[in-house]
Amino acid sequence: MLPRVSAVRPLRPLARFPLCSGGSEAPAAATVLLGAPHATARTKNNVQRYFGTNNTICSKKDEQPASMHEISKETESQESVKENTKKDLLGIIKGMKIELSTVNVQTTKPSSTRQLKSVEATINKLQKAPGDAPKKRTKSLSPELVAAASAIADFLPFDKQTTKSELLRQLQQHEEVSKAQKNGGRAKISVSNIISDMKVAKSATIRVSTRPVHQIQFDEGSDDYMSQKTSDVKKSLRKNMLKGKRLNIFDLKAVTEETSETETTPSLWDIEFAKQLAAVNEQPLQNGFAEMIQWTKDGKLWEFPINNEAASRRLTLMLLGKGVLFLGVSHAMPVSEPNTENDKMTCPVFIALLPSAVFFIYVKN
Amino acid sequence: MAAAATSRWLGFRCRLCLKLRGQRASPCGQIPCCRFYSGSATLPKVEGTNITGIEEVVIPRKKTWDKVAVLQALASTVSRDPTAAPYAFQDDPYLIPASSMESRLFLLAKKSGENAAKFIINLHPKYFQKDIAEPHIPCLMPEYFEPQIEDISEAALKERIKLKKVKASVDMFDQLLQAGTTVSLETSNSLLDLLCYYGDREPSTDNHFQQSGKSEELEEDTGENDKKSKKADDQFGVTWRAKNNAERIFALIPEKNSYSYCTMIRGMVKHRALVQALNLYAELLNNRLKADVYTFNALIEATALNMNEKSEDKWNNILELLKQMAAQKVKPNLQTFNTILKCLRRFQAFGRLPALQTFREMKAIGIEPSLATYHHVIQLFYHHENPSKGSSRIIYDIMNEITGQKFTPKDPDDDMFFQSAMRVCSFLRDLELAYQVHGLLNTGDNWKFIGPDHRRNFYYSKFFSLLCLMEQIDVTLKWYKDLVPSVFFPRSQTLIDLLQALDVANRLEVIPQIWKDSKEYGHTFRSDLKEEILMLMARDQHPPELQVAFADCAADIKSTYESQDARQTAPDWPANSLNCIAVLFLRAGRTQEAWKMLGLFRKHNKIPGNKLLNEFMDSAKASNSPAQAIEVVKLAGAFSLPICEGLTQRVMADFAISQEQKEALGNLTSLTSDSDSDSDSDISEGI
Repeated sequence: MLPRVSAVRPLRPLARFPLCSGGSEAPAAATVLLGAPHATARTKNNVQRYFGTNNTICSKKDEQPASMHEISKETESQESVKENTKKDLLGIIKGMKIELSTVNVQTTKPSSTRQLKSVEATINKLQKAPGDAPKKRTKSLSPELVAAASAIADFLPFDKQTTKSELLRQLQQHEEVSKAQKNGGRAKISVSNIISDMKVAKSATIRVSTRPVHQIQFDEGSDDYMSQKTSDVKKSLRKNMLKGKRLNIFDLKAVTEETSETETTPSLWDIEFAKQLAAVNEQPLQNGFAEMIQWTKDGKLWEFPINNEAASRRLTLMLLGKGVLFLGVSHAMPVSEPNTENDKMTCPVFIALLPSAVFFIYVKN
Repeated sequence: MAAAATSRWLGFRCRLCLKLRGQRASPCGQIPCCRFYSGSATLPKVEGTNITGIEEVVIPRKKTWDKVAVLQALASTVSRDPTAAPYAFQDDPYLIPASSMESRLFLLAKKSGENAAKFIINLHPKYFQKDIAEPHIPCLMPEYFEPQIEDISEAALKERIKLKKVKASVDMFDQLLQAGTTVSLETSNSLLDLLCYYGDREPSTDNHFQQSGKSEELEEDTGENDKKSKKADDQFGVTWRAKNNAERIFALIPEKNSYSYCTMIRGMVKHRALVQALNLYAELLNNRLKADVYTFNALIEATALNMNEKSEDKWNNILELLKQMAAQKVKPNLQTFNTILKCLRRFQAFGRLPALQTFREMKAIGIEPSLATYHHVIQLFYHHENPSKGSSRIIYDIMNEITGQKFTPKDPDDDMFFQSAMRVCSFLRDLELAYQVHGLLNTGDNWKFIGPDHRRNFYYSKFFSLLCLMEQIDVTLKWYKDLVPSVFFPRSQTLIDLLQALDVANRLEVIPQIWKDSKEYGHTFRSDLKEEILMLMARDQHPPELQVAFADCAADIKSTYESQDARQTAPDWPANSLNCIAVLFLRAGRTQEAWKMLGLFRKHNKIPGNKLLNEFMDSAKASNSPAQAIEVVKLAGAFSLPICEGLTQRVMADFAISQEQKEALGNLTSLTSDSDSDSDSDISEGI
């Protein structure tokens, strides 16, 4: 449902309510997020878009500590929510506070207080009559959560019904996951996961808040990143082998600083070690040219731009196997008969590399 | 290289053009900027007065070519030919290897020929003095291994040290001392180097191609420990004897410097005199000298190899050494960390956390890990992994880290990485990861790190088995075509894996081809492979033309069993194979041969299966020959099979048989029912 909404009205949320609400939307963010990490990749990405908006909204909260207070009260009031769900929520909210310090604050219409009241009213109303949510989906959710979800759905500028059902679906998923976590005893994962996701959302938010016009393309970018992240979600939960405690014995500065090392002749140890290293990647030659390179290095073959001073006026002829013929002549001299006019000779250099390609290079002295 | 030159030239042109454009834009206002090149040539005339801007033209400098640049460029255009044997082999049908054993043999033969020639040249240098090459080619001339300086002097000592004559050097040193000449510290130290490196023994003659005796590693990597101990025997076979020449000369040197201590410590560690090494280090510290980084590396090794301590204590000692390094401002190098990681492998599970910390430390201080580093980490985390426990996922981190990197050799263990990474892929059954590892292998010159022959075989066997297990059959067959035999020769187990993959994908028609290949790659007498092939072919009914091909294949396999009989070494025919071959003959309509197979059952005292007898009955019915049917019943009766009765009834029902035959059948059945009790004794007699 979310993809459709954003496709139909891609810019509206920001165009109409650039930073519409106050703190009262924070629970929305939180609730959505609870479901997010365990939803399918697609859904998660889309949730992320909302989160982008919401996180910007959170920046308002700095200016309005009162509303922040409201949130936590509201969170606490949801007593029937399972214990670790609450913990997660608190974790998220803590995380959000951390994020806040870096988010750009933007000025908006001071409409939030009024809206907040209306939302609260809605919540109260809904708490009295929470029954209109789809039964089969909410069977494991508490009525409070359902109420909160519908309140949020009311508040969001999209299709109410679809928003709400989506939220409920995600809540339920989260409920299942948290149950499973209770059994497995790994409650930490979801919190850390959520917080790690928040970081991603933040970077998107900054860009969105500065240049809302480009929201779509930026969202695409974060989509890519997110889907990649989802596929690696298991991996990112583990400790990365590069991050973590190190021995802390050596100092980067001390190690990298240049010391004037006196040049000494390599000892036997050095020579033997170098030999070992050379043997490490020694492989049989792969083709005729590799063999010719080897010969050049051994000094058995003339180096290629031919250095006429490398030897006196003598002929060097080499026949190599495998159809590779290399004939180098310096200051030419025919093989068969001695030539008296050495200096006037032409120097032919034949490099018959392959039967199909024969080069003739003539060098005049 | 040419490309680089071109780009430089283009860059130069562009700079020029931009400059020109800048000038032109000011007087003329807007000029479409798409045609710099044509414009630039005429520009000096137009601008006339304003030429100063072009004076910065830099003529590209003459390019100096590396002597192998052209050859390298040419070599890079040649890729591997999957239809040909590797280039290292002689291009001669008789000398192209058809099995891994042959390929090793040929390579060894080639190398030993070179070695023999070199040996002869060096043994008789006086016959190889004629130097016809111009310019001179040093590597073709004999090397001199005999000392040339006869008198007793330091120069003579130096020469003997250079020629690695251990005993002669020691004698010369003693003579010099007796003559009262003092030997310089530098020379004494290099003598100590020689003595310590070779453990006061003559170095064995340089034989680079020591591959013999290593083939058993090929089978399984669990043999790594054995291999290591074996390697240790080779390398450290010389143990450090107390009061050897090294210690004696070390004691004789009047003013020892830190280098003397260091080389002694390294020698002691190399030859496993660990306690002495640690003691000598204490002595070095007492003399207010500083050890170098190589010595610390050796000491770390000594600490880890020390027998009588717990892992935890050893690790603390290693940390202590590292702290001393930092305090003495000795910079650690790659070898330091690789040594630590290698040693941590001995600690097994305890070593994992310290290994990670060590790895982070080396990254943090900017030492780039080599392939050996990753190899040690992988070995540590996946060594005695059992599949039931959750496995570590560190390999993913490693692969993410190094994908796309090009490596140069930095550590002698660098060539172990790909083998161990592929082992983990196969263990994790992760094909995607295996592709990633293979991609890394094909990045740049990384393929050179695959190691010697047996390691390459191991790598590709694991890779291909994983492909058989996980990949679609078409892709697997494509890999098969690409890798076999130009890269490696499959083991029989690899071929069985491929057969199973073919079975799963229902592509049994390829089997005769696989059999042909496996014959070629030297698995003619592998009975497990042959049984697998026969079983797969005989299991189901197939279309007639395929049955014909299968029957040919079966006949071929039968002939290998027969030649095996002639050799009298291998075990005789398994009953399964006989059954399968007979069934295949029957299905292809080669009834005569199938009946001959029944003879073989008798000959080898094997019992034909019920299914086979039923098939014989079917074929008898198809050819409408009651005689054959009765023959089948007789055979079943001879073996006292329970199916005999059923067959008899079938003959009675299905065939029009004469009275005589009926009687014969009646006899048979009564015989079987009577002789139920003796049947066991019959069989045992036969056996």
